[in-house]
Amino acid sequence: MDLGTIIAAIATLAIFSFLYKDNPFYRMAEHILIGLSVGFTLVLLWNSVLTPKLFVPLFSKGDLWSLIPFAMSILMLMRLRGSWSKFSKPVMALIIGAGAGLSIPARMDARILKQLSATIEPFSAMGLGQLSAGDIFNAILGLIAVLTVMVYFFYTRPDNKPVRAISQVGIYFLMIFFGATFGYTVTSRLTLLIGRIEFLLSDFLHLI
Amino acid sequence: MPAASRFSARHIVFLVVLAAVTLPLIFNLSLTHTVTPETQQVYANIDSLAAGELLLLSFDFEASSLPEVRPLAMALIRHAFSRDLKIMGMSLFAEGTALGEQTIRQVAKEYNKQYGVDWVYLGFRPQRESAILSLGESVSAEFPRDYFGTPTTGMPIFAAADSYAQIATVISIADGDMPSYWIEYAVSPHAVNLQAAVTASMATSFYPYLQSHQLKGLLAGLKGAAEYENLIERKGGGARGLYALSVSQFVIVLVIIAGNVVERVRRRRN
Repeated sequence: MDLGTIIAAIATLAIFSFLYKDNPFYRMAEHILIGLSVGFTLVLLWNSVLTPKLFVPLFSKGDLWSLIPFAMSILMLMRLRGSWSKFSKPVMALIIGAGAGLSIPARMDARILKQLSATIEPFSAMGLGQLSAGDIFNAILGLIAVLTVMVYFFYTRPDNKPVRAISQVGIYFLMIFFGATFGYTVTSRLTLLIGRIEFLLSDFLHLI
Repeated sequence: MPAASRFSARHIVFLVVLAAVTLPLIFNLSLTHTVTPETQQVYANIDSLAAGELLLLSFDFEASSLPEVRPLAMALIRHAFSRDLKIMGMSLFAEGTALGEQTIRQVAKEYNKQYGVDWVYLGFRPQRESAILSLGESVSAEFPRDYFGTPTTGMPIFAAADSYAQIATVISIADGDMPSYWIEYAVSPHAVNLQAAVTASMATSFYPYLQSHQLKGLLAGLKGAAEYENLIERKGGGARGLYALSVSQFVIVLVIIAGNVVERVRRRRN
């Protein structure tokens, strides 16, 4: 058995030991995990971003344009000291502005327009007689869900009985969604447990 | 002895769940199951590609979700290599980078696939939005060197394809909402043929995209992996874990019912 498997098995058991109670073995494994994760990310960023995008162009190829992003990075670090944090604001503004410029049209198209279109599209097919009874039911149910949930989140709506009843229906649709998501999340967490138990039984104990 | 260290009902529940997970694995029990249309769709999409066509696999997950996404990735890569498709691997998550490379390398060995010709691993890129957008211009410009530092321009795999236009399908193997970034920055502007293989907890977030055809296929969780393994007729981590998953879920439901009954009886007594 290789050393890596033994270390992985000990780390797994140390993390599981928390199920009994908090203890130093668990704490040690937790700190090693965080340390390794941060260390790995730093080395990866150094090798795959800083070296090829900054150090090589600047020092090996003499590309002075690289000084601009380098200077901006330094300005970002000024945030660490309160009195100098104002120097980071132009860079922050650039990042937020560029981010918003990129993401607003992209999100509008992908998450709103395309989704609206997908909600309404079945009704045009319905008129042409191209949908089965099940598809028609699904299309109508989907539309009711969208409208009632939107009414629920419409906080400035008139507070009368019919509107309250519609938003109540929206709550039921939301609960169905949350229930399904929670069920899937439990499945996901159990899968992680199965993965570790399978590792212990096969690679470490050779029982399966 | 402090209260927290005492053996309590909580610990009994943990032991019961442990037994429910362990016993099916030890006795190697398996379960018959049907294949859902979403999984069938992913299989059909990959199966319809001609030999030599290119897949871009993005390993967008962290190490903590490896047991769930690895069977999905293995099944997809096995199917692709068995159909003689070429694979470009990359990651938009730092932690997924090394894990993605290990996974492709392991399957490539099984199928005797050659690095640089049949597959390549490009490595990690931060700033997901700009990385996804720039791949639409040129993959080799975004990744002038691969994960190991070798220049990508001379690689035979890049002769056939260098941007989304020549990539048959992109598959994001993810444990979070990364496929939605691919939808926003690759599907909308470049009409990329995108599929997703995600953890079960993320599945409900992506069904709407499947219905709107922004996603061409969706594989979700261990069940999705087991279904895919069924389709490619090659058992793996998905099939092995499915029975343990079903038994443990059943046991959890029983524990919830038992807990409620015990609580109700206790309240009546009080």
